[in-house]
Amino acid sequence: MSGGSARSLAKGSAPPGPVPEGLIRVYSMRFCPFAQRTLLVLKAKGIRHEIININLKNKPEWFFKKNPFGLVPVLENSQGQLIYESAITCEYLDEAYPGKKLLPDDPYEKAYQKMVFELFSKIPSLVASFLRRQNEEDCSGLKEELQKEFSKLEEVLTNKKTTFFGGNSVSMIDYLIWPWFERLEVLELNDCADHTPKLKLWMAAMREDSAVSALLTEPKVLRGFLSLYLENSPEACDYGL
Amino acid sequence: MEDATRALGKGSQPPGPVPEGLIRIYSMRFCPYAHRTRLVLRAKGIRHEVININLRNKPEWYYTKHPFGQIPVLENSKCQLIYESVIACEYLDDAYPGRKLYPYDPYERARQKMLLELFYKVPHLTKECLVALRCGRECGDLKLALRQEFCNLEEILGYQNTIFFGGDRISMIDYLFWPWFERLDVYGIADCLNHMPALRLWTAAMKQDPTVCALLIDKNIFLGFLNLYFQNNPDAFDYGLPC
Repeated sequence: MSGGSARSLAKGSAPPGPVPEGLIRVYSMRFCPFAQRTLLVLKAKGIRHEIININLKNKPEWFFKKNPFGLVPVLENSQGQLIYESAITCEYLDEAYPGKKLLPDDPYEKAYQKMVFELFSKIPSLVASFLRRQNEEDCSGLKEELQKEFSKLEEVLTNKKTTFFGGNSVSMIDYLIWPWFERLEVLELNDCADHTPKLKLWMAAMREDSAVSALLTEPKVLRGFLSLYLENSPEACDYGL
Repeated sequence: MEDATRALGKGSQPPGPVPEGLIRIYSMRFCPYAHRTRLVLRAKGIRHEVININLRNKPEWYYTKHPFGQIPVLENSKCQLIYESVIACEYLDDAYPGRKLYPYDPYERARQKMLLELFYKVPHLTKECLVALRCGRECGDLKLALRQEFCNLEEILGYQNTIFFGGDRISMIDYLFWPWFERLDVYGIADCLNHMPALRLWTAAMKQDPTVCALLIDKNIFLGFLNLYFQNNPDAFDYGLPC
């Protein structure tokens, strides 16, 4: 499995060749939380894959042929089929590959995971807004909103009485929401979870998961990336290499 | 139609548990999101009962079915509640036998879900056009934006060279799109489909589908509902029901 630590491809780069049989390719970026979802599923299911990192501040022209929206993650298989939107890529991998099923077989339990995913849906944009905040007023308003969203997730764990969002072992929904919780520390938002003890326990339990821990990024590298990214630097995506 | 019942409002009795062998949908006769789920129930021949909710005067008990009182919501005989129209539709496809509306192939399934992402601006834009027109405001920009979204869908059909969005047979994605296209005429924005031959062909083909036909809402009844709705009349939701 190659490419996780490869330099990103930018404008003027040659388009990659077809994907060899027996492998699936993911177009990614080392610090993108959406792409991290897909990488987590690839890891958790032991799927042989190659990674091509994309410079999101200086995108190669050919990348828009892979995804007209020009976003990562994108999956490409050896039949040339392209799948994008992180949640869709994750579900595709779970259906197309054998081994441990991350989504439940039971239709209701599967629907329940998707309802929890909806409950989570405001968090990515809140975190993104927080990153771009201009002043202290924005800061406290956003933190309050984030706490509200965390309370909804706390309620789920309280009602289910399980460690993870899908039961007593890690499953798809946990992987889908994890990347934003990994970033709380670096964003100094950990205190937003102070009043949601079960969520805190979940975060600790997630760090013990083998896929999660294999893909953890060092906080100082994440910080380095973030400052360059917020300045729109084309070097951001390769920070730390 | 199974859903020709009066909408329940504040002060109404909460319904009892759902009998075994049946699934219940909390709905509203003119809601496009609930329409999606009713199409799937019909297409798969699933025995169901409909409880219509007065959306301007929601029963207190309804918030125990959905935290924000939205529709549609499915409730089964095990008291399990499923909401978000797309989640409800997928649940029905998974849980019930008979013809599968989503493809079996994982890539084809993913394709339908990617297509749904392309559609996400349409509900908001059609509603904004409706509101603007009803309030006597101009909506040229909104219609242009809607046409742009339709152009993307037109391009897909052109590229695929198939009648329906999932191939040559009607499938889930068509049912998920349909309710908004059915409403273009009664909302007064049917001209947004001008010069889009593939979409017009698709619309015509959809109107031939027995499921779509069975649930087609009479134009005059819909207009009657819209008139009352925009006058804030709480009886709007029951317009057209026999007294």
